[in-house]
Amino acid sequence: MRETVQGIYDYIAENLYLSRPDVEVKGRQLSTALLISLLTGLRQGKQLIIGEPGLGKTTSAEYVCALLYRFPLGIIWGSEVSGHPEQTEEKIIGRPDLGRLNLGEEVVVWSHFTLLPVKIVDEINRLPETKQSMILDGVDRGNWGYLNDSIINDEYCLFATANYQDKGTNTIIAPLIDRFDVMVESKHPGANLAYLIGMRGPDGSTLRDERLEQEFLQVLNERIPYNVKMERVERLCDEFGEALARKAGVPTLSRSGRAAIRSDMDGIPFDLDANAFLRMILAELSFCHRYGQKRSHEGCQEGCHFTGYLCGAVRNCISNRFPITVRNFSQALAWFLGDEKVDLEHLLAVLPYTLAHRLQWKDEATAQREKESRADPLAIYMAKQAVKEMHRRYMEQGPLVKNALAVACRILEGEALEPIVGDHPIYREILLDLGKEAS
Amino acid sequence: MVERSDRGDTLRKVWNRVRERHLFPELPHPVLTDSEENVALEIKGKRISLSKDFVEEMSQFLATEEVLEALLDHAVSHYLYCPWDFSTHLKLYSEAKKVLKDRDMAQKATDYFMDVVSDTHCVSKHDSPLPKLYQHMTRSVMDEAVHALYQRIWGVDLGIRGYEEISRKLSRLPYLDRSRWTESIRKFAKVVQGLLEIEERFDGLNKPNPMGGHSLDQYSSEEIEQGLKDFAMDSATPVEFREMIQDFEEEILEATRPKETGMGLGPGRALDADILYYMKLADNYSLPIRKIPMKKSGSLYPHQHVPWEVGKPYQDIDPWTSFGKILPGITQTWKRREGEIYGAEEGTPDCMVLVDSSGSMTNPRQQLSYAVLGAACACDAYLRNEVRVAVYNFSDAKAGGRQLLPYSRQRAEVYRAICHYFGGGTKLLLEDIDSLQTDRVPDIFLITDMQITNLEVLIRYFNEHKNRVTAVHLGDNEHVQTFRRSMALRKHVSIYSVEKKEDIPRIVLGRIREYFGTVG
Amino acid sequence: MRNPFSDFRILPYQKREIPLERIVRAKEDVMDKIVGGYLRLVEDEVKDLVWLVEHSRVVKAYSAAVKGIRDLQYDVDDIEEFCAELDSSSRIPYMISGPAGIYVSALVNHAQEDRIVLRLREYQRTFHFLGYRLPEGKVLILQGDVGDFIGAGLSGGRLVVEGSAGNWCGAGMMKGEILVTEHAGQSTGEWMRGGEIHVDGRIRSVGKTLFGGKIYQRGKVLAPQDLSGEI
Repeated sequence: MRETVQGIYDYIAENLYLSRPDVEVKGRQLSTALLISLLTGLRQGKQLIIGEPGLGKTTSAEYVCALLYRFPLGIIWGSEVSGHPEQTEEKIIGRPDLGRLNLGEEVVVWSHFTLLPVKIVDEINRLPETKQSMILDGVDRGNWGYLNDSIINDEYCLFATANYQDKGTNTIIAPLIDRFDVMVESKHPGANLAYLIGMRGPDGSTLRDERLEQEFLQVLNERIPYNVKMERVERLCDEFGEALARKAGVPTLSRSGRAAIRSDMDGIPFDLDANAFLRMILAELSFCHRYGQKRSHEGCQEGCHFTGYLCGAVRNCISNRFPITVRNFSQALAWFLGDEKVDLEHLLAVLPYTLAHRLQWKDEATAQREKESRADPLAIYMAKQAVKEMHRRYMEQGPLVKNALAVACRILEGEALEPIVGDHPIYREILLDLGKEAS
Repeated sequence: MVERSDRGDTLRKVWNRVRERHLFPELPHPVLTDSEENVALEIKGKRISLSKDFVEEMSQFLATEEVLEALLDHAVSHYLYCPWDFSTHLKLYSEAKKVLKDRDMAQKATDYFMDVVSDTHCVSKHDSPLPKLYQHMTRSVMDEAVHALYQRIWGVDLGIRGYEEISRKLSRLPYLDRSRWTESIRKFAKVVQGLLEIEERFDGLNKPNPMGGHSLDQYSSEEIEQGLKDFAMDSATPVEFREMIQDFEEEILEATRPKETGMGLGPGRALDADILYYMKLADNYSLPIRKIPMKKSGSLYPHQHVPWEVGKPYQDIDPWTSFGKILPGITQTWKRREGEIYGAEEGTPDCMVLVDSSGSMTNPRQQLSYAVLGAACACDAYLRNEVRVAVYNFSDAKAGGRQLLPYSRQRAEVYRAICHYFGGGTKLLLEDIDSLQTDRVPDIFLITDMQITNLEVLIRYFNEHKNRVTAVHLGDNEHVQTFRRSMALRKHVSIYSVEKKEDIPRIVLGRIREYFGTVG
Repeated sequence: MRNPFSDFRILPYQKREIPLERIVRAKEDVMDKIVGGYLRLVEDEVKDLVWLVEHSRVVKAYSAAVKGIRDLQYDVDDIEEFCAELDSSSRIPYMISGPAGIYVSALVNHAQEDRIVLRLREYQRTFHFLGYRLPEGKVLILQGDVGDFIGAGLSGGRLVVEGSAGNWCGAGMMKGEILVTEHAGQSTGEWMRGGEIHVDGRIRSVGKTLFGGKIYQRGKVLAPQDLSGEI
């Protein structure tokens, strides 16, 4: 199954979404936009794709969804929600069956967006906050409600695109943006690849099948119970998968295949360095010596001893969604590369994309970085630099941090040991967990 | 011994192992090269190059894998631990030079100190074959002393006899305590001074260390820029900064791209260390770039649908999305919102900086002048927002003690104007200020101690003109009182008295932040 | 409560240590004790941070210093480092030259090494009373200029000053030898009872009361032949 997923990656990279590889992990050169999208699809994640107009934000998500979930492109197009202020709940989630409504019965006609496991929202930042919240709440649990009815998606993933701020856009407020697992940029592929795109164009026709699309539409529009509908949809997906294997030579995954993959991913352990490093990051992004924890509305004290750590450069406290995301995506990456354990290298690859949208930088931190030369948008660049800094600290102190954690374990198990102290916030967090006051 | 053709594979295997052991440092794959100098390895821009000849020579005594591993351990430890960054490198060198008073000796001492620190760090954390490599290497007098030290502090036998006193003294230094490196290198330099003098006599100072020297090539230009920034912050005076920079002028020029905005350089221009000092200092006090402001249009328009509830007004109900029904839960009503449009496109005015460089002010080239720093921060803030800055540097302007820079976007030119010091009387010429007025009224930043001979003239000028004026002055005196009294009712004039000079950048930036926030 | 550290149970917590850490720790320990001893001496002997040079006070201070360092295990490197600490004042809040010099002398006199070299050239502060009561069999070499009362009460040791000495050099010395390679100050050899002082440069003045011993200038006997004062 790994080969299947790698085959899907290769197929998209060579034929559909041409981009420059921009990250190296375990000796493999990969395109982050494509890689992260694939992992999002596999991991039932929520991805925010930013980029200039026309650089393949939506298209890349469509291709990944089509190949991972075996839906023809036409069906995916039909299920997309486009972001504009006049979107209504009825267009996004579902509407009453008008015929039955006139007879006094409340029966919900669910939108394709709600029914299908793959959900794409185009230009989510053009939606009003209430609608953004509605979508993110729904995707959080897979639970969609309208009138007095609800459906629960067993499998789902969300791809939302956003242009950079312009006068037509709202901001995605912090509580909402935190719900996204990852943020990536769909970059310009460079002059030479762009030329190729212009000359031959990505050929998405292999991902279409008019006959099957008609059948999909028929099933989706039928007034039958949700689970029955989805079983029929799954059969059509299998049929489309076979068609893909014949036409394009790319094998795809069934629903059970995807479930098995997720199960395999869940079983991949973290090695001790990855474990300790993640704890160090969490400490730096949540710690406040003076106020107990970071809070967005509380500033740093002048001359605080810890200004050298990231807690001094960010305004907000990192949420608990973050470690969940990191776990999911780093396991997914380790699985994708065929590694038995999640190690530092996997973490280093995914961390910037899980952090970029979650960190609210102080003005001074932004000012220091915004004029530096970079290959990423500022948020992702600053996240990468932050990860680099923390990694450097870990490389220097890693063994001591692991020792401190090991000693803490023994202390909690009753051994009479003294906790290891150090300067980094993680040591203070350990002391607090041991019930000791940090001086 | 492994054949050369297999050495590439061996290197790859060893590198993966070393990389994992050191927790995946961000370094590119090392290469085996023919080294021109007789050194084991070089690091240029993070790329580690290992000498084929050296590896072959050492492979007579050790397994090739061990040789490669030891060299890579050494290189990676340098990258990870010491000197950590360019600023630390400069600091260490500066401390060594204070003791040794000679550039070459100081560089040599610094190189050796950094080697001791990195190697000790590596050996203390990992099972490295470094000691085995050192056992078989050709050594100079200084190398022998250092290896004698290693014998003591690592507890290994490297085959060195003698050097008891030196190794004993050197073994007392806390090499693994970064916070005490500056103190440690001073003591290190003091102890090894005699040996360095011997090496100097035999022209050994120009020979690189067997494990490679530590030139600035190992740093990227961004690291050098950052390092200079940090070093400027740590230098007590411009003189201290200048002395260091002059020692490395060639290397800095070679290693960095000479761009006007970055390093204050232009074609054919040498490094002006004083200007660079203030540039780098000012970099530490930055305001983010102001975004183009939005403002409300003043009219409402339908923005989004919200569910209609009983009791809400009817007039905004959207019949289309309500399916023709007026039912709670079905009916949708429009929520209106005020539109947003762009604010004035050119919201940030130009800035005129008036800098007092009379005799009562600090000479910025001798001591850290917070007045110049404040002016620099103001200039940078405006330049970063793509507007122009003019500088009027005055002392006794009538006697020729003045420098007028018309509006410019060239950072280096602006800094050259700010950093100039006249040191004479204090009298400005209004016609100079007037010549800088434009149709779009510029902001004015005045940084002075207010002991201006023709202050009343200036006060009258500010009263008559609409420029937003921020006056930052040091200390308190009767002139200040006069100025405050006269400006008290002028809303467009703000006066800041600075108790601590260190407050100047913060005050300047705070004011600019307010300015930028209210424009549009 | 769940143990959040349980993943690290398998990690052995014994730290890898190299001799450097042990050496530095031991050295720090000794230095703390030496510095602590000095601070106690100053607190006990110096009231209101004023210390006047009176014979009885000097003797008392020296006895207290000796008592303070009695059980310490230290070497010549520790003494040199202590001098550096005195000069830099990073750990020592007040350096009072008289008691400091007496304390250093106590350290020198009771060190295991017979030959001790102190490099004082780069120091900002001036040390007085170095070489106080230097006993027989000990050689103390001071590299750099030194302060007053150098070699006072010398008790048989050999004291070499590679630089200039201040006033009252060799005051009250009993026996032994002082060699000053540059100049000496006023009242050189005052109250000396025996031994020799050799000065290769100028001597500002010889002490008015010499009970014994000899003073040489540039190899020629200066006292007791010429006791008249300025040279």
